[in-house]
Amino acid sequence: MMHAENLIARAREGDSLAQGKLMHAWYKRIYNYGFKFFYDHDMAMEVAQKTFIAMHRNIGGLQDTSRFRSWLYTIAVNFCREELRKKKSAASVSLEDQRPGTRNSMAWQESNHRGDNPERLLRQSELSDLLQGCLKQLSEEQREVVIMKEYEGLKFREIAEALSISENTVKSRMYYGLEALKRMLERKNITKEAIGYEL
Amino acid sequence: MNYKPDEATLVAYHFGELEGEELKKVEAYLQEHPAERKRSEEWRQVRSVMAGLADKEVIAPPLIVGNNERPIWREHYFRMTLGIAASFLVLLVAARLLGLSASISNQELRISFGAPTALEQVLDKAGVTQMIQASLEENNASMQTAWDSRNQKLEASIQKNLAGNSSRINSLVKEASAGQQEQVRQFVGQMQTENLKLMRDYLQLSTTGQKEYLEGLLSDFSRYVQDQRKQDMQYFQANLVNMKENTDQFKKDTEEILTSLMASNRGSRTDNQKSY
Repeated sequence: MMHAENLIARAREGDSLAQGKLMHAWYKRIYNYGFKFFYDHDMAMEVAQKTFIAMHRNIGGLQDTSRFRSWLYTIAVNFCREELRKKKSAASVSLEDQRPGTRNSMAWQESNHRGDNPERLLRQSELSDLLQGCLKQLSEEQREVVIMKEYEGLKFREIAEALSISENTVKSRMYYGLEALKRMLERKNITKEAIGYEL
Repeated sequence: MNYKPDEATLVAYHFGELEGEELKKVEAYLQEHPAERKRSEEWRQVRSVMAGLADKEVIAPPLIVGNNERPIWREHYFRMTLGIAASFLVLLVAARLLGLSASISNQELRISFGAPTALEQVLDKAGVTQMIQASLEENNASMQTAWDSRNQKLEASIQKNLAGNSSRINSLVKEASAGQQEQVRQFVGQMQTENLKLMRDYLQLSTTGQKEYLEGLLSDFSRYVQDQRKQDMQYFQANLVNMKENTDQFKKDTEEILTSLMASNRGSRTDNQKSY
């Protein structure tokens, strides 16, 4: 932790090497946040790149190094919202197009692990599609909170800071997000036993 | 137990972000409420399923950043200092061009443009008093002169105005008087004419009226006399009739009395004969 704070402090002072290390440490997280939010590789890449360019430009103004994580997610959230606005004005991509075997499927880009069981990979891909579909059906506000909490592991306080809302609002959105996901999974008859994967 | 945790508290408990007294209360609440316990278990199931959505592997692109160090002349503090120094230099040059000089001597600050000049003779208290007195006298004299001059002008102006106004008033009065005489004459003449006409009309009307009145009066009087004579005649006739009726009645009564007397005398005579 001390190392991370030191890295952030150095990056804040304009140390390019420290900024590079920070980007490498956080790139996957921000990319995955964007990917789960959009279920779109290009948009997630766009958001991640914009986020780290903004980080490079503005990290000098970061007052408290302990708030780096929520600060970084604030930037990512803002770019996600910006991309979403652009996307809404453009033609949307059907989830159906993302299914394995279709031309735009993400599975083509990801199934490059030689030696993996193809059937298992296919099942995993189908499951990802289903779960991602459930996430996409949540409202934008609930999706932000669920991804940050469930996949990014932020505390409610950090999520509240990142979204500039109260902790109680975050928890309330999480409550309704979980209830909505529960109903969706029940409708699709998806249970832990049914999917049979190891946690 | 009336405690019921709200949505936020339940979520915080579920994600292990509750501690202390609140945590104990929620645990006790869940022990007593199996439905809420079931909900918490369902959330756990949902989260287990959602955890199947794994992270994507991605390689971070290289971070290419420009040189972040700015030259010293682009630093804010340097530019501000330079600005202050430049302003000061401008002031100095301007002062030099204007010949501005400042000096302090004998507790006295002297600021001047061009070469400083020596002070004139210093005045003492008596000199200042004399200057003030002279200035006052001069001022008084000047004011008196101005006052006199203004008074004379005012007097002349008043006289002139009076003279002008008097002649104007006289002429106006004359005009008014002449106008009034003419008007009075016209008015009297008109009145005389109107009176003459009125008198004539009145007399004419009066003669005709009197004539009509007398005729009426005479006819009324003759009608009255006739009526009165008629009434008297009727009264007289009525009295005559009454008198006649009374006379007749008297005659009748007298006859009846005489008849009854004669009858009674006849009866008494018969009785007497019988008694005899």
